[in-house]
Amino acid sequence: MQIHKSKNKQDKKKKKVKEFINIGLAGNANVGKSVIFNQLTGLSQTIGNWPGKTVEKMEGHLNSLGYRFNIVDLPGIYSLSTYSLEEIISREYLVSEEVDVIINVIDATNLERNLFFTFQLLELKVPMILAINQMDILRKRNLKLNFERLEEIFKLPVIPVVAVHGTGVYQLLEKAIELVVYHQPTSHYIQDGKKIHEQLSNNDKKVNNDLSIKERFHFPDLSSILKYGKEVETRIYELIKNIDIHLEYFSTFNYPSRFLAIKILENDEEIEKIFKANQKTIYIINLAENYRNELEELHGEDISTIISSEIYTNIHKIIEKVVIVKARGEKKLVWAEKLDHLTTHSFWGYIILILILAGIYFFTFLIGGFFGGLIEDFFEVLSNIIYSIYGEDDLWVKIFWEGGLGGFFGGLSGVLVYVIPFFLIIEFLQDSGYLPRAAYLMDRFMHSLGVHGKTIIPMILGFGCNVPACTGCRIMETEREKKISIALTSLIPCSAVMAVVLGLVGRYVGITWVLILFAINFIVIIITGKILNKILPGQCTELIMEVHQYRIPNYSVILKQTWIRTKEFIFKALPIIIITGFLLEIFFIFRLLDPINFILSPITVYWLGLPAITGIFLIYGILRKELTLVLLALLANSMGTTLLGLLTPLQMIIFSLVSMLYIPCFATIVLIAKETNWKYALQIAGLEIGMALLIGGIINWVFFFI
Amino acid sequence: MESLIKCLIDCLIGEKLKVLRVNAGYHAKRRLANLGIIPGVQIIKKKAAPFRGPIEVIVKGTSLVIGRGLAARIVVLSDNSK
Ligand SMILES: Nc1nc2c(ncn2[C@@H]2O[C@H](COP(=O)(O)OP(=O)(O)O)[C@@H](O)[C@H]2O)c(=O)[nH]1
Ligand SMILES: [Mg+2]
Repeated sequence: MQIHKSKNKQDKKKKKVKEFINIGLAGNANVGKSVIFNQLTGLSQTIGNWPGKTVEKMEGHLNSLGYRFNIVDLPGIYSLSTYSLEEIISREYLVSEEVDVIINVIDATNLERNLFFTFQLLELKVPMILAINQMDILRKRNLKLNFERLEEIFKLPVIPVVAVHGTGVYQLLEKAIELVVYHQPTSHYIQDGKKIHEQLSNNDKKVNNDLSIKERFHFPDLSSILKYGKEVETRIYELIKNIDIHLEYFSTFNYPSRFLAIKILENDEEIEKIFKANQKTIYIINLAENYRNELEELHGEDISTIISSEIYTNIHKIIEKVVIVKARGEKKLVWAEKLDHLTTHSFWGYIILILILAGIYFFTFLIGGFFGGLIEDFFEVLSNIIYSIYGEDDLWVKIFWEGGLGGFFGGLSGVLVYVIPFFLIIEFLQDSGYLPRAAYLMDRFMHSLGVHGKTIIPMILGFGCNVPACTGCRIMETEREKKISIALTSLIPCSAVMAVVLGLVGRYVGITWVLILFAINFIVIIITGKILNKILPGQCTELIMEVHQYRIPNYSVILKQTWIRTKEFIFKALPIIIITGFLLEIFFIFRLLDPINFILSPITVYWLGLPAITGIFLIYGILRKELTLVLLALLANSMGTTLLGLLTPLQMIIFSLVSMLYIPCFATIVLIAKETNWKYALQIAGLEIGMALLIGGIINWVFFFI
Repeated sequence: MESLIKCLIDCLIGEKLKVLRVNAGYHAKRRLANLGIIPGVQIIKKKAAPFRGPIEVIVKGTSLVIGRGLAARIVVLSDNSK
């Protein structure tokens, strides 16, 4: 009895105690954050969104060394300013209660730019570990780093890592525990041959929840490396003094006073809002403005240039101390240079771009078609068995089998089998480093549509499937560009549309018309871009983008990313497909949709010159575009004829064209609404319907009069 | 021998350049400064995209692509003596 009670008590106590450590992985793009993240969390990852924001949040967990680690892979950024939504979200997140330790992943081969971001992170005064990654490449370049010196300078753990081999990755966790347990970095990491986590008793391991780890952490004094020149520093000092007067107010925002001082001096809009929100602190904005003007006058430069220059100067001093050149002469990756030259060539670059787009189709189709066929065969065998048991006319069998399970198998064979190879090839392109080259080639052209070259990246993704591609538009920096990008991407003929066009026009009319249809689609994209560019307020921003050297892609990253994306699709999109399949089957059986054909007939029959039955097919097509063709084929089958007996070549062309353009598929519309708002999603849908009908009708009438 | 002040788009491919000024708006300027395009820094013009497209430069050992409109506002000193 007694024992039981005390155990109960202990259990209660346990709940108050925090044994998990929240880690944020931060760093520039392409430094190896995701590889480290994958190494640590394996397949336990989820993709979510930041609350209220549409920037992807990758989260994963692992249990190790007696702790539960919660790891978040942050977007790759270069600064903690307000250039993109990703930067704002990252800094808010890093200072929030949700992060205990930052692991700053640094590309050893690009120390200067990476340390610029590190310097910004250091100003947040959050417990931090520096993970110097890609040490293997550094060694190949005959360079070495003095890690003891680095730890002396940063007074924080600095760990050499080769993420792709898993070297040093678990040491990062050990260091995280050390920071959490001792509230400061210690140099007595190994005592009596035992590592810290081995020495700790279970009680030591518990971290009290009443005080957050951050607050108890003694952040080292790094003023010697972080301080700016005297002119800047004295003004920051004055600002800090004024901020500290209102510390009670500012402490609710979690930013250190010095960070606030620097940012208000830099004219940071988001930080300014904090100062503006309180009557008593508004004056500091003016103070900062005066200081800013003084400094800009003094240096003859604008404030961000002054501050960035000083940070780079400080970084330079550090680099001189820690980089050791073992031998002269860097080895260059010749093939990577050559490939770069070829893929950005003013002629071959475009040829390769087109080949890659064709390759995406081809690969997605070939693999998807093969497995889709297998699943369909399997479904048919099952169907025959079911029908032979229950009979073909049983209503419930029809609803549940055709509707529910049919939807499920349809989802598998019609969508999932295409989604997987598509993600594979996209992740391959992403990991190899190709996509920014496409942005480089297309920048000029995309400007005429009101966006810069980066938009081409989600658009390329759109060739496989519009749904994840529209999500990809998050990489655009401004809301206006995101909106235009989404609209353009939703017009890209996805692999389902391709199936309709090839299966109908390609098969029965000829390749010329396929090309004409694609040309029309292309023109529609241009018109849409031009229209949106005109009507959306604001201006097109200029491209600023880092381009990385080509690499041999890492297959485990590709496979894992593909799996995560597929998992997301299975859980989020597949249920919708099954449920709607189910409902549609009910509508179909009870002929609830027949009136629709009648209502739509002025458009379908008179304006477009199509048979009335296509009205309902087009409605189905909103769900999944290839359904328009599938249903048409089914109908022809049941009438004992082929598609040729059902539609004239002209009708096929018009039907394909309308299917291609008339509306983004249902899943895409939902996604657009989530990424922007319902009003915009419906506007885009309306615009596309309008254009599809207009062009389809024109073709019909032109041929009518000829 | 010859030193010339030019804007980035007018320079030759492969030229070694020193950044003098960036005459851009607040956001673009801060972004470029963060990425290391600051007065006094050495850059190399690596390529220019066809059809009057963006410019690629090497700064601090990495490649950066800058839209043409912005590149036109970056004033550099080209040092032909080497
Ligand atoms: N050679 C080498 N390549 C690495 C290492 N870490 C990451 N990479 C590669 O760097 C690329 C970018 O890595 P990723 O994790 O996607 O970067 P992220 O943008 O920071 O998430 C991938 O192609 C990786 O395979 C490393 O330690 N050594
Ligand atoms: Mg990543």
